[in-house]
Amino acid sequence: MKLTLSLNGHSTELVAAPGARLLDVLRDAGCTSVKRGCETGDCGACCVLLDGEPVNSCVVPAAFAADAIVTTLEGLNDDPLMRRLQDCFLEAGAVQCGYCTPGLLLVAWQRLREGGELTEYDVRHAMSGNLCRCTGYAKPVRAVLDAWEAMP
Amino acid sequence: MRNLNAYLFATSPRDAVRLLHTTAGRGCYLAGATDLMLERRADLDFVVDLRRAGLDDVVVQDDGALRIGACVTLNRLESDPLVREFAGGAVADAAAACGNRPVRSTATLGGNICSALPSADMVPVLLALDAVAHAFDGESTHDIPLDEFFTGPRRTVLDGRLLTGLTLPAPQPGLVCLSRKLRRTAEDISLVQAAVAVARGGNGLGYVGIALGAVAPTPMRALAAEDILLRADPEEFEIAVAAAAESAADASDPIDDHRASAEYRRAMVEVLTRRLLREALGIDPTAEDPVHGGLR
Repeated sequence: MKLTLSLNGHSTELVAAPGARLLDVLRDAGCTSVKRGCETGDCGACCVLLDGEPVNSCVVPAAFAADAIVTTLEGLNDDPLMRRLQDCFLEAGAVQCGYCTPGLLLVAWQRLREGGELTEYDVRHAMSGNLCRCTGYAKPVRAVLDAWEAMP
Repeated sequence: MRNLNAYLFATSPRDAVRLLHTTAGRGCYLAGATDLMLERRADLDFVVDLRRAGLDDVVVQDDGALRIGACVTLNRLESDPLVREFAGGAVADAAAACGNRPVRSTATLGGNICSALPSADMVPVLLALDAVAHAFDGESTHDIPLDEFFTGPRRTVLDGRLLTGLTLPAPQPGLVCLSRKLRRTAEDISLVQAAVAVARGGNGLGYVGIALGAVAPTPMRALAAEDILLRADPEEFEIAVAAAAESAADASDPIDDHRASAEYRRAMVEVLTRRLLREALGIDPTAEDPVHGGLR
């Protein structure tokens, strides 16, 4: 099937099998920040934003992208908030092997954009679907809170 | 999902039923797809996507009942003000405890119900609140008490009909609804789920709903346990709670598997039910249990 979507701000046409996963279609389209992890919706390495909401692209049919807005980490390269978040990750030492990092950044970015108060619990609730085997979560959580405190 | 020949979008409930019944091959409805994408069913020729069929309304009716469309996502249930305000936020809290944030973006209430897993996370709280399911056959809608909806693991009474949504009756004044699940980790499948809803009325309790999940072939209501409480005198609530919890454990029919033994699950049904009922009825949590002694 033919899918017309906005991918990282560009109007895009993609061709996908009716039963294809969004994960595979995005990686084939060159968005390799979308990682293939557990492939069962548990680990969050394949997180993307679908119409602004974080989703695990391994359990999302490619057809969900039809007429939708899809954002991967590639699409936020020049976004000031994403830049600040990435800086905070670096400063906090929140990146080790890095495989979970794109998913963590997207989920955190979406939560920061949602606005409102942000406690450590809120950050952990938002990140509950992103598994990280290296950091033990303390540093990524710290990094998101740092980025929030630095927000204007 | 891998072998699909066609991915169809329904534009209305009527269109959905028509597509399912007139398209060649074996098809099924799809809402959030989170279960379907994992099942890797090789027998499906097509799916009918319901997300554009207008099944995503959340409405409080004039009589105070809450009507939720089948395609409302768990994330929306968690945050929608109408759901948050209903029955003390019990349905919103249950949604917030399902899966994880990205999964809740797409997973739907209707999907959680229609997958009909014995451990469906949303179901016990809906059963305790006496939910009614709406099944649409293309011409008319039938109301089915959720308690009669499940016929076995992954089996429902739908038989090709479309679940359009649920209605939760208006809670009685002062109703308290609480649910809890026991599991190894936050994302693990529940070992035991319990939900209770109680409201005082007359000389005693005017409403009691007790529901269990993951401890029988289908989610279930513990009707005998409810009856014990409905007959209880306020002076004897503590004893009645202990008896109702024991009755709920007796009514459960759990399995042994690698996650937990049936014996453990049954014991935990009693513990969770008792704790939830005591909390809902405002019984001092530091008081000694009148039947078993000690802090329960």
